[in-house]
Amino acid sequence: MNPLLTFLVVLIGLYGLSTSKNIIKSVFCVTITEAGVILLFLNLGNLEGGSIPIFAEGLVNIVDPLPQALMITTIVIGSTVTALALMLCIKIFHHYGSVEWDVVLRDGGEE
Amino acid sequence: MVSSVIKHGFLILLLLFLFGVFYFTMEELDIMYDTFAKRYYLLNGLEDTASMNLVTGIYLDYRLFDSIFEAGILLIAVSGIIWISKHDIEEHNVHFMLDKFKTPDLFVMFARVVYPLMLVFGFYIIVNGHLSPGGGFQGGAIVATAILILYYIDPNKDTSTSFILSIEKIVFIIIVVFAMLSIFTKGTMFTNPFTSSDAGVQTIYLVLMNVLIGVKVALGLWAIFTAFLREGR
Amino acid sequence: MIFIPVGLIFIPILSGVIIYLFKHRYVNYLSIVAQLLVTILVIVYYVTFKESYSDTYIVFGLWDERIGISLYNDALSLSFVMLSVFIWWMVLLYTLQTKEEDYNFLFFLLFLEGVFLGLLQSNDLFNMFVFLELTTLLVTILIAFTKTGESFRAALYYLLLNTSGVLAFLLGIILIYNSFGTINVQIVGSMMSSVYDGQILIKFAFVLMLAGISVKTALFPVFTWLPRAHGVAHSAISALLSGLIVKGGIYMFLRITTMYEGASFAYHDFFFVIGGLTALIGVVFALSQKDIKQVLAYHTVSQVGIIMMGISNINQEIAYGGLLHVFNHAFFKSLLFLGAGIIVAQYGTKKIHDLRGVFKTMPFVSVFMIVGMLSITGAPFFNGFISKSVIKYGIEGNIRYWILYAVNIGTATSFLKLSQIFFGQKKQVGEKQIIVHYVPLMTLSFVCIIFGLMYIPISDGFFGIDLTYVKILKLSSFVDYGVTLLIGYMIYVFVVKKDYIFIKRLRMFNLSFDKANYLFIIYIVVMTLYFIS
Repeated sequence: MNPLLTFLVVLIGLYGLSTSKNIIKSVFCVTITEAGVILLFLNLGNLEGGSIPIFAEGLVNIVDPLPQALMITTIVIGSTVTALALMLCIKIFHHYGSVEWDVVLRDGGEE
Repeated sequence: MVSSVIKHGFLILLLLFLFGVFYFTMEELDIMYDTFAKRYYLLNGLEDTASMNLVTGIYLDYRLFDSIFEAGILLIAVSGIIWISKHDIEEHNVHFMLDKFKTPDLFVMFARVVYPLMLVFGFYIIVNGHLSPGGGFQGGAIVATAILILYYIDPNKDTSTSFILSIEKIVFIIIVVFAMLSIFTKGTMFTNPFTSSDAGVQTIYLVLMNVLIGVKVALGLWAIFTAFLREGR
Repeated sequence: MIFIPVGLIFIPILSGVIIYLFKHRYVNYLSIVAQLLVTILVIVYYVTFKESYSDTYIVFGLWDERIGISLYNDALSLSFVMLSVFIWWMVLLYTLQTKEEDYNFLFFLLFLEGVFLGLLQSNDLFNMFVFLELTTLLVTILIAFTKTGESFRAALYYLLLNTSGVLAFLLGIILIYNSFGTINVQIVGSMMSSVYDGQILIKFAFVLMLAGISVKTALFPVFTWLPRAHGVAHSAISALLSGLIVKGGIYMFLRITTMYEGASFAYHDFFFVIGGLTALIGVVFALSQKDIKQVLAYHTVSQVGIIMMGISNINQEIAYGGLLHVFNHAFFKSLLFLGAGIIVAQYGTKKIHDLRGVFKTMPFVSVFMIVGMLSITGAPFFNGFISKSVIKYGIEGNIRYWILYAVNIGTATSFLKLSQIFFGQKKQVGEKQIIVHYVPLMTLSFVCIIFGLMYIPISDGFFGIDLTYVKILKLSSFVDYGVTLLIGYMIYVFVVKKDYIFIKRLRMFNLSFDKANYLFIIYIVVMTLYFIS
């Protein structure tokens, strides 16, 4: 896969973030952006090609193992962020009866 | 209507601009691409970490400090989610939200077959993390999924969250202490504590650490899952 | 030597975990013990640092420094560490209660301390990313800790906006890693001058990283999460966030720009303008608010703008003024938030026009609040005066000077408005205050005055910078302050008090999440255009 294509995924996530009016959609757009960033990093580690980073006889070229190790961390972080955000969504729904940003933030300025 | 079209059109223009910039950066990256780290891992990875799987070698040895906080992020997210989800009454029973609907019999039957297989597969991934693709985080996630399936089989299953949380915290402390042990053998922290040049001895550390991380991740995800189950009621 | 930096990170974290495990009211005092230990470590560290004047540089596992994770401490990070430990003392003492249920709160608070101290010492870009994300998560939980509807929505807004910012930071790290082959800040910094040759790639990485940091620092277009979050959180948490966590962004800004020193970008003017805009917008919004915590939160935005104006100065000595303001702002803003917390708790309302007669009801708290207000408006003999003078000194007789002047007038107006709470009749209020709450207030006001009077030895001792050119006992500074107050009072009487329709509009202004992200993208694009062209 081309790195440009994966950057497109990031841009799709950003587009969704700046247009969606629904909290759940926003949460998923953050996830999409995150997935795009992860794919991009993995792709750039594979720019020259190579076999999987596990030692075997006659190994000459591998894909970069560091992005893979770092992206495990990013995936764990991403999943925790999503879980926390969804739990907050549930609580917001209990308090406001809606998951639309406009409704939830409406009485934000106090009078 | 018109303003909305302008808004979206302008946004797309902005994103296209970013895409263009990124295109040029990729052109330059072809020239600048630096493979120092990759070559370093290929040359020294097995010798340094005794792990056949370089990814495991990195996150359990070269960058163990990161992995501790990776486990820590799960720890606080779990505690935070439990705190936020907690209602005022202490509840011990977790009823699956699907118990109001009926879980299909076919699904339950297959789940019974798949559940032990998934558990075994998860443990295999954890224990074999230094040899084949996998490791504590990935295997832990698989084990947690297997436990999730258990709730489908038995909707009335009881779970005490505070017990899970306590175990998880203790495992975290053990991980931190274990990672620091190398101060006594090598004079530096966050690396493999065994000094023996024998790869067999060094892999003991890798397997143990993977198991600890796997247990920690599985417990953490399990606790998150139970918190969401309560909300589903 | 390895024990001290690692201990600073892990002592608070492990004690937090142990407190969570035992859930016992006496075990909660472990937090004080841990804090004492950390303090001793910091003092020992500082003394050894003073003796040797050498930066500590630890690579874990003794690997090649381009591969392993490293911690790096110099005078800058050490001073930030000391500031953090001090502010944590204040927050811990303020929240100290012997309730069993506190274990949860203490767990998150102590974990945050360890993580924040880690962020300050980290020398690895990806490690910084992990710490940034951890801070985001912990702060989200702490904001949502009061479990009201408002706190939940503020927490979610904060979480999502900051996560998208941190992802931009991660994109920058990816570009850096693939072009330099390492993510060690020191190594990248030393390679920068030889590698950089006008590549768009390196510029774009710079833009993405600083855009991500700008969200954390709450700079101009992306500051909207800050008033929301700081307004609803528990007062101690607001003090912590305003006083310290926002400064984490400033610290990262300094670190990343230092890393890019070899490339010699002209980023100073851009961030000066952004800082000025942030300061002005923050003040204008603060003037329109009627909620005491919202006013203070918007003032954090404007003061962060002033700090940015200070540190994005090419002259190192003037940039030091911005750095000093980081410390001074931490002291007086925590003081104001903690004091406001006590007042709000006693009166049971956050509205300024309902809070009256505070001076007669709570004389002690009022005195401390007045010290904080004098500091933030930059009165002579108080610490705000010193750092603002240093920043002013560098830009005198310039259009930039007038921006700062306008911000000062706005600050004065806003705090004149806030000082109305002291007047009026005594009011019967609720329960009696615990005396231990006054200890942090007293310490903070004391520090405010000390930093205002003894600034020459303090700045010389910490950074080795001579500040003798700042004179307190000069007639012009008093006249300056008087004029500022006078203009501020006139604006208050003739504009703010009338509560015109546009002020109401400003108060009701409410930026939706998607618009905030839109602004974030525009911000990235503007930065890209500025730096790449």
